[in-house]
Amino acid sequence: MDRANFLLMAALMSTWLALLSPSAQALSSQAATEQVQAQLVASVDAVRPGDQIVLGVQQRIIPHWHTYWRNPGDSGIATTIAWSLPPGASAGDIQWPVPSRFNLGPVTNLGYEKEVTLLSSVQVPDDAKAGGSFPIQAKVNWLVCQEVCIPQEVQLELVLPILQKGAATGAGSPLIAQTQARLPMTNPWPIQIEQRADKLALKVTSPELQSAKVKGIWFYPAKWGQVVHNAEQTRRQQGDTLVLDLQPGEDPVLAGGTLSGVLVVTEDGGDGAVSRGFTVDSTVLPGVATPAPQPVDIGLAAALGLALLGGLILNLMPCVFPVLSIKALALLSHADQTPAQKRLHGLVYTSGVLASFALLAGSLIALKAGGSQVGWGFQFQSPLFVLAVAYLMFAVGLSLSGVFSIGGSVAGVGSSLAERPGYSGAFFTGVLAAIVATPCTAPFMGGAIGYALAQPAGVLLAVFLSLGLGLALPYLALSTWPALQRALPRPGLWMERVKQGFAFPMYATAAWLVWVLAQQAGINSVAIALAGMVVIAFAAWLYESFRHGQGLPRLAGLGVASLALLMALVGGYVGINASPSGTASSVQMTPGTDQHWEPYTAQRLQELRAKGAPVFVNLTAAWCITCLVNERVALNQSSVTSAFKDAGITYLKGDWTNQDQQITKVLTQFGRSGVPLYAFYPKGIDAAPVVLPQLLTPEIVLTALKAAAIP
Amino acid sequence: MSRRTFSKLALASLALAWLPLTTQAAATIDQAAPAFSGKGADGRTINLSDYKGKTVVLEWTNHDCPFVKKHYDGGNIPKLQKDAAAKGVVWLQVISSAPGEQGQVDGPTAIKINGYRDSKPAGTVLDADGTIGKLYGAKTTPHLFIVNPEGKLVYKGGIDSIPSSNPADIAKADNYVSSALTALAAGKKVAHPSTQPYGCSVKYAS
Repeated sequence: MDRANFLLMAALMSTWLALLSPSAQALSSQAATEQVQAQLVASVDAVRPGDQIVLGVQQRIIPHWHTYWRNPGDSGIATTIAWSLPPGASAGDIQWPVPSRFNLGPVTNLGYEKEVTLLSSVQVPDDAKAGGSFPIQAKVNWLVCQEVCIPQEVQLELVLPILQKGAATGAGSPLIAQTQARLPMTNPWPIQIEQRADKLALKVTSPELQSAKVKGIWFYPAKWGQVVHNAEQTRRQQGDTLVLDLQPGEDPVLAGGTLSGVLVVTEDGGDGAVSRGFTVDSTVLPGVATPAPQPVDIGLAAALGLALLGGLILNLMPCVFPVLSIKALALLSHADQTPAQKRLHGLVYTSGVLASFALLAGSLIALKAGGSQVGWGFQFQSPLFVLAVAYLMFAVGLSLSGVFSIGGSVAGVGSSLAERPGYSGAFFTGVLAAIVATPCTAPFMGGAIGYALAQPAGVLLAVFLSLGLGLALPYLALSTWPALQRALPRPGLWMERVKQGFAFPMYATAAWLVWVLAQQAGINSVAIALAGMVVIAFAAWLYESFRHGQGLPRLAGLGVASLALLMALVGGYVGINASPSGTASSVQMTPGTDQHWEPYTAQRLQELRAKGAPVFVNLTAAWCITCLVNERVALNQSSVTSAFKDAGITYLKGDWTNQDQQITKVLTQFGRSGVPLYAFYPKGIDAAPVVLPQLLTPEIVLTALKAAAIP
Repeated sequence: MSRRTFSKLALASLALAWLPLTTQAAATIDQAAPAFSGKGADGRTINLSDYKGKTVVLEWTNHDCPFVKKHYDGGNIPKLQKDAAAKGVVWLQVISSAPGEQGQVDGPTAIKINGYRDSKPAGTVLDADGTIGKLYGAKTTPHLFIVNPEGKLVYKGGIDSIPSSNPADIAKADNYVSSALTALAAGKKVAHPSTQPYGCSVKYAS
């Protein structure tokens, strides 16, 4: 070939080779796949030696598809960025904007849809030469999914000129500042994370979070396995503190470990919902930090036995004894009944008691399943319940006094031979006995019920039924064995007197309950309760006056009686709901001038124990008679109070009259489900608490103080 | 009120207490693996209880998922399946994709796909309504569960330690399944009984 052609060929070939060589490839700061358009941007237009700049990788995702957060959730993979930087430069970890949740059936993923920019700080080396260039390459890998998933990779490059120190570097991309506003913020409120039995309680003390504008709060854990991603996070309010219940995952954080993540709060903004994220990085606390004894593990058989015994002893408590005596009298009044009928009476009474305890166990199980911290006697923490029982006690008192009688049932005395045996009365007396028994915790019962509350539902039910059986046993025995009945005295006028006499313990119980109500719902509730009782007495008198009559007067009389009763109930309900609920400082808790005790808080206890100071803790409630008796008989006695003062013991009194989660927690730690609880922490930081029995005398307290004193 | 009404009332109140007692079987380590019965790709019924006395591996799969492909295209899972068969371990694939979703196939197609991939499991369970998947809490494909000869669940989680779709990571990762099978064969405890599963989400009906 001639020289011209040869030169042409050579030129073409060299151009080809040049084009084919790798150095001719040019990466761009933008790349796209079918689902995602990616872009590499920077916070500046140029760099200077020693600068720190922020880079961002933006993903614009087509509708309905999403990419993933640092913790992708149940499936998926987080986006990764592999940086190639000039020597001496370093890049920090990805800073992730606040994520969203995507639920696909039982699978929950955490990530981003529509648009997200992942930021990273980059340090420019001090020896960068002004006038040169700073090439940044990023190999970005992500998984983008809708229903199917596609792993994708793009390579992006951005070259920034290096300027001298002091030169203006330009504003860079506005995306960086926009994204920095979407990063999780440092948390402004105190956050505490506590490990409970089968969940983690995340507590945020923040009045702002209670605003009605807050539509949703969700905790996004930073690592897989710490929290179940698709489990409902129930929200509860405790005063100023919001409690979020988190279900621990396959790899849960243990007490002492750290739980990190982002708490996302969604609010109603001007146009639509606005989400803000707050970083969480807290140690998981086991609850009260002071050394607590292991909850007593007593075994099912022992628990059942103790519950039975406890039920038997409950019969002797001031709450139950009048009811039992009335029933025994009723039995005597039916001395003409056949043994079979008497036995049936006993069985129906027992079934009433057992049914009530089963219902109580059922509600406790349901409440536990719902996550509440409950204890024994919890129903008395509701003022409405207290009012209702006060009314009931008053009405029973009226019946015993003879103001009215319901078909010869509750009291049973004076009924004619022709009247029905009164099985309905037997059943409801059983229910009554169960209701009034709850505020009295007898010895033995604390351990059994504390054990039961930590067990599965079946065991809880069994223990409660055993308790009910113990409660019903004396009357069941009386009604079943003729020999025992023969031991009872012959009926006579004295029975009428005794029955009327027993009205007074009922009135006394009603009066005490009104006092409890006053603690819980304020002074106005006393007026409401007393007014209600007047109306009930009126209704009772009307009922008795008209029920033996006939025709219109009877109807009218009974009608007005029912109306009056309804008024009392509705008035009570409305009145109590309108009253302010009792705070922790009820009448008995207001510190006096020569006060020998302080109100209990977990913080104060921790403070004192951190110093190794001796502390006596008394957990009580206004509706707990055993507690009040113990205080009067033992703890408020001068011998005991001076012994406390001499030994420098701080006396902390905790009031459980109304719901108090702190106190419920402490009770659970000691294996108890209800009050009273008396725990003495001897001097010394590591000293374990000594638990005192539930029936106190001054001697018991003083002996315990001496026994634990180790100089 | 009559006697009959109280007995009814009494029984009713007792019945209420039993309501919260209904519980679901869950896949928990060291507890009995939930029993199931499903249709196999070859038409036979596959019961977990049939394999008592043998180690069983359950592999949730979806042949179109990039993470499943990562482990099949290079032969990683087929090799595990062959090694398992040689040791007398029963390896069952489970397909819980709902009808119309990615990965859902009928029996003959499933067998054909296994043929292409040189995959020889002991059986393939077609779980189109997702019952078995939800019973075990299967979230990803692949998601692996291992049941010991006594019927207890001893492993659940990912196939290996590097969650990615890059086949080059297979050689670098710890294969949890082969380690668990080796431990079981030697009569030892599985070192990591619960690990993070990774992959595409199981395509349950939505």
